[in-house]
Parts: sequence; C-alpha cells; structure tokens
Amino acid sequence: MSAPSVVDFPMAVSPAAAAALPPWPEVVRWLRAPERRHAADVLRATRRPFVQPRCGVGDHDRMLELLGALEQAGPGLLSVTIDSHTRLGRFDTAARVLRERPADLNGYPLPAHGWERGRDLVAAVGVPLEVRHGSPEARDLFAYTLASGITSFEGGGIGYNLPYCKDVPLRDSLESWREIDTACGELAAEGVLVDREFFGTLTGVLMPPSTSLACALLEARLAADAGVRCLSIAYPQSGEVYQDTAALRAITALAARYLPAHVEVHVVLHEFMGVFPRCPGCAEALILFGALTARLGGAAKVINKTTQEASGIPTAAANARGIRSAQLGLSPLLDFIALDEGLIAEECGWIQREVAELLDPVLEGGDPLSRIVSAFARGTLDVPFSASVHARGSVVPGRDARGAVRYRDFGGLPFSPAVRAHNDSHLRRGRPDLLAVLSADINHFAAGRSCERCAADPTWRA
Amino acid sequence: MAEQRLVLLGVAASDAHAVANRLIAMHLRQAGFEVVNLGTCTPLPEFAAALRLHPGAEAVLIGSLNGHAHADLRELPDLRAKGELRRPVIVGGNLAVGQASAAEAERRLLDLGVDHVLRDAVELVPLLDSLRAKVAV
Ligand code: B12
Repeated sequence: MSAPSVVDFPMAVSPAAAAALPPWPEVVRWLRAPERRHAADVLRATRRPFVQPRCGVGDHDRMLELLGALEQAGPGLLSVTIDSHTRLGRFDTAARVLRERPADLNGYPLPAHGWERGRDLVAAVGVPLEVRHGSPEARDLFAYTLASGITSFEGGGIGYNLPYCKDVPLRDSLESWREIDTACGELAAEGVLVDREFFGTLTGVLMPPSTSLACALLEARLAADAGVRCLSIAYPQSGEVYQDTAALRAITALAARYLPAHVEVHVVLHEFMGVFPRCPGCAEALILFGALTARLGGAAKVINKTTQEASGIPTAAANARGIRSAQLGLSPLLDFIALDEGLIAEECGWIQREVAELLDPVLEGGDPLSRIVSAFARGTLDVPFSASVHARGSVVPGRDARGAVRYRDFGGLPFSPAVRAHNDSHLRRGRPDLLAVLSADINHFAAGRSCERCAADPTWRA
Repeated sequence: MAEQRLVLLGVAASDAHAVANRLIAMHLRQAGFEVVNLGTCTPLPEFAAALRLHPGAEAVLIGSLNGHAHADLRELPDLRAKGELRRPVIVGGNLAVGQASAAEAERRLLDLGVDHVLRDAVELVPLLDSLRAKVAV
C-alpha cells in the first residue's frame, strides 16, 4: 500500500494523479469561488432547450480555438470531449500521441495536458463546460475535471461501461462511479453543485427507449443514493417523433417514481446517435428534426450532431453550423407544430410500463448495485450490440412500419405477456433474413430520407 | 466436405465500436467461415495470442472506427519481428481522425506492415478468396 495521499480526494485516485493535482481543499476553494459559472445554473435557468456540441481535439491551442469558435454559435454549454486512450485509462498512450501527433487524437487528453490547462479552457469561454468521455472507471479523470474547475461530468457504471469497453466487470465500474457520486454529495454539502449526466444512449444504434431509460434511471438512482443532487438524464433520438416525444416526457414521470424528491432532474436529448446520412442536406434536416423533437418532448438541452457525423470528427466550422441548425429546430417560429397527444400518451404509457417491468425486479430487494450486476449476468437487463462481455447482448432491436424502435427479440428480458404482445403487434419476430433486416434498420437515415436528390438516388453520396 | 475456413476478427485496442464487428461476424458466418471474434478493444498482442491458439486462421481482420488505427496498430512491426501475426492483416473502418484524407491514413497503415486496407466489409470475402487462391497455386 502506498502512503496516504496528501491530496486526500474523497475518492481513490492513482498515485500519479495524486502527485499531479492540487490538494483537495484547494480544489474545493477554487470550485466555490463566487465567479465560477456552473452547468447546474444554466440548466436551472433554461426556459427553452439549449444546444451543447460535442467537441474535443488533441492539441491545447487548437482546443482553445475550437471552444472560441463554437461559443460564437451560442451554445448553452460547451463540452470537453475526451480521447479514447484516456477514456480507457491509457494515459501514457494519450500523452505519447499528444507529443508525437496531437491531431491523431479523437478528443482532448485532459490528464496528459494537466489541470492548469483545464483551467485555461474554463477561462477561455463565457459558458460552463462539461467533461464528456466514456470511461468505465473515471475517478482520476473526475479529479482532473474538478481541479480544472469543471462541475459537469457525464457517465455512470452501466452506460459508460457496456458501450465503451470489453472487459471491465460491472461491479468494478459501478463501485468506482459510486465513489464519484459520493464525492459529489460531499461537494454539495460544501455548496458546490455538480451536474451528473447519465448517457442513456448506450450503444446508440437501434436502442429501445425502455432499455435506455431503465439503465439511465438505475444510474441516477445509485447516484442520488450516494448524494448527487443535480441529475441530467439523457435519451437518444430514435427518429420516430411520437416515440421520442413520449420517451422524453416519460423521464419526468419515471424520475418522480424512482428518484427521491429532493434531487433536481434535467431532461437531455441526444440528436440521432445511429448511422448518420452522408448527404449534408439530409444530415442537416435530421439535426433540425432532432432539435424540434427535443422541444416537443420538453428537454432542457440537446447534445448536437453535425453534417460531418458520417465521415469523422467535424471541423470547427461544421460543428458551429450544426449548433445553428439545431437552434433553427428550437425556434419559437415552429411552436405551431404540435403532435397528436393521444398517440403520445399511448406510447408514453407503454414505455413507462416496460421500464417498470425492467426496474422493479432490480429495485425490489437488497443492494441495488449487486442486483444490477446479477441482472445483467442473467440477461434480465441487457443491451443490444454490447461492446462488453458483461452484458449478454442477446436482445435484438428493430424498426416497425412507422420507424419506431421495438424489440425484435426480447432475449432474457422479464417482460409481461401484455408488453410482449404489444411489441409483437408492431414488429414481426424471428426473421430468417436477420442480417439484411438489421442492416436496413441500422441504415434507416443513412440515405434517401430527407432530400429530393437522395430520394431519387439513395446511393449518390454513399 | 470442404475444409472449414477460419478467420480471426476483432476491433482495435482503443476502440469500442461494436456494431460493425457483430454484423461482419454474422456476414462471414453466413458465407461459411468459422469466426473467432475477439470483440472490441483488443490490443494487438491479444490478436497474436489468439493466432497462436488458432494457427489455422487464414487472416486477421481488424476494425477501427474511432480514428486511432495507427496508434492502436503501432506494435505490428515489433510483433512481426518476433515471428508473430504471420498472416495477412486486413484492416477496415474509419481509419483517421477528422476529415483527414483516407489515402494518407491508408499509406501510414501499409507502412506499419498492414497487408490490406479495405473501406467496406463487403470487400472482405472476395479479398479472402483471392488470397486463398494465391496460396493454393
Ligand atoms: C454508433 C456510434 C457510436 C456508439 C458506439 C456503440 C458501440 N459500442 O458500438 C457510441 C455512441 C458509444 C460511440 C462512441 C464513440 N464514437 Co462513435 N460513432 C457511431 C456512429 C454514429 C455509427 C457507427 C456504427 O455503428 N455504424 C454501423 C456499422 C455497420 O457501420 P460502420 O461502423 O461504419 O462499419 C462499416 C465500415 O466502416 C466497414 N468496417 C467497419 N469495421 C470493419 C472491419 C473490417 C476488417 C473491414 C474490412 C471493414 C470494416 O464496414 C462496415 C460495413 O460497411 C459513427 C458515425 C456514423 N457512421 O454515422 C460514429 C463514429 C464512428 N464515432 C466516432 C468517435 C470518435 C467515437 C468516440 C471516440 C467519441 C468521440 N471522441 O467522439 C466514442 C468511442 C470510444 C472508444 N473507446 O472507441 C467517430 C470517428 C471519428 C473519426 N474517425 O474521425 C464517428 C465517425 C463520429 C464522428 N463523426 O465523430 N459511437
């Protein structure tokens, strides 16, 4: 065992991080300074949904330029998107690539840059930042985030494990996130409100709404139990507007049912997270559509996409343009657009019922953390296309005739006969040509949907 | 009965994108291959160990979508120098960060010793067939 660290962070950090970071009381003093602006304040003040882009490049000066350029487009919050090496705890690899070829990094390696540069990022822009990553175990990264003066942090032990790594046991990720959440509780007692966001998106491709919401709510529940006060619950746009509106509205109802009354909950929409169209016109239409959906569903913020989504990390100009496209979808000029409330209510009822059938068996009984681990081992909780071996991945999703995402195969999910019958009435199960059907559903928006040119020739930009 | 053809499949070390990996495994199995699927986030030494375990594999197929292909495959020359991974290494996906040119990314990977770079998984079976035809001659 190493000697107790002088840093004394309320969660276990590695000796290297402990040596690099300022002492905990200094971090708290920095965060409490009255001039700090916090994501929680922005979320609380918002009347209409605001837009937040993903953004992260390897080089520090390029990152400053990127944040500056995006601020011009009027986002409510900005992101520090972390690179994949850092996400997986391979800080040394991130540092090496940063030295040799920073443009080869798909995000900003905050630990490799250090917390002083993190403070530079905060100081460079007038809107608060959120660290967005995808780390199954994120205690070091969270320590760097706080030391940088950033009080919004995405992730949880399910949603940042199963889509983001191969072999980190769920118990390990859940326990390490519990330490992060406990630290947030301690900070709340010191008057610093950390916004903790739950990714919801999971693997992003054909995610059934009830699976997304169940996982995010479980993480939110564990976080609230550990002391977190400000929770953002995110949901990924499926692209079927009734289903998406219903799912967003279900979040508030489900939060009231499953979370303690003293926490605040903010609803977040991820613009479509599956395979994006290559055609810039179709991509822009999809971005506008996503934002409109967020307004209809009553979200507080929209995490954005760009017209370069299909090809690679976007340029600053494309990213700024994506923010503006989303803002068009949020314009009050479009407030006349309203949906059939009956259809939304029906969808919303089914989504809540499915979520309850997934959550209740986990939450009724002993320690929820252990019950989550065993539910994934048994397949009574599951995620399609799991990147991790710690979920079965035996659920198969599909799109119904309207485009809504349903369960094509329930795997081991403990749904009632009524829920199964409802699903089956929308989507025929057991297809012999599964690969072709799955590919078509995955590529639903990839071509041919939104502009005349693509409708005439879906392959022109493929 | 025709001899069972075998390939190793996986995703590069820092990359967790799983969907193409799953679909490619289904596609190759439908085409009659046995697929040892190492899944996402697989460091190169893990591919080498799997090849030692399955020496009958005719190729090693590595996907990379997150732009980190080059950093993730950097150990290839060292492993090859130690006599490992002596099979065609075929890499496909989205191979560089950002809007960088695909040709440049491809050249850097070929320089590392990657044998074939493909844009789309539908090119896989024809390539595997042509490689096998060459071996057979
Ligand atoms: C879904 C998705 C995700 C999901 C993945 C869930 C999961 N675990 O699978 C989530 C949301 C979690 C995610 C996370 C990230 N993602 Co992502 N993701 C996508 C998205 C939207 C679709 C990918 C997909 O599933 N496609 C469906 C499959 C069937 O198609 P495909 O993957 O393109 O595969 C085809 C070809 O590439 C090729 N191919 C693929 N593999 C192989 C292998 C071989 C051997 C061969 C021959 C061919 C081949 O053939 C396939 C069939 O045609 C793409 C953008 C897009 N296309 O719209 C971004 C994208 C791939 N992601 C990207 C990135 C960077 C990330 C992150 C690193 C976050 C970040 N910094 O922004 C993290 C990953 C963290 C990590 N450690 O890797 C970038 C890559 C950028 C680049 N190269 O410049 C993209 C392009 C988005 C973007 N524009 O920024 N992502």
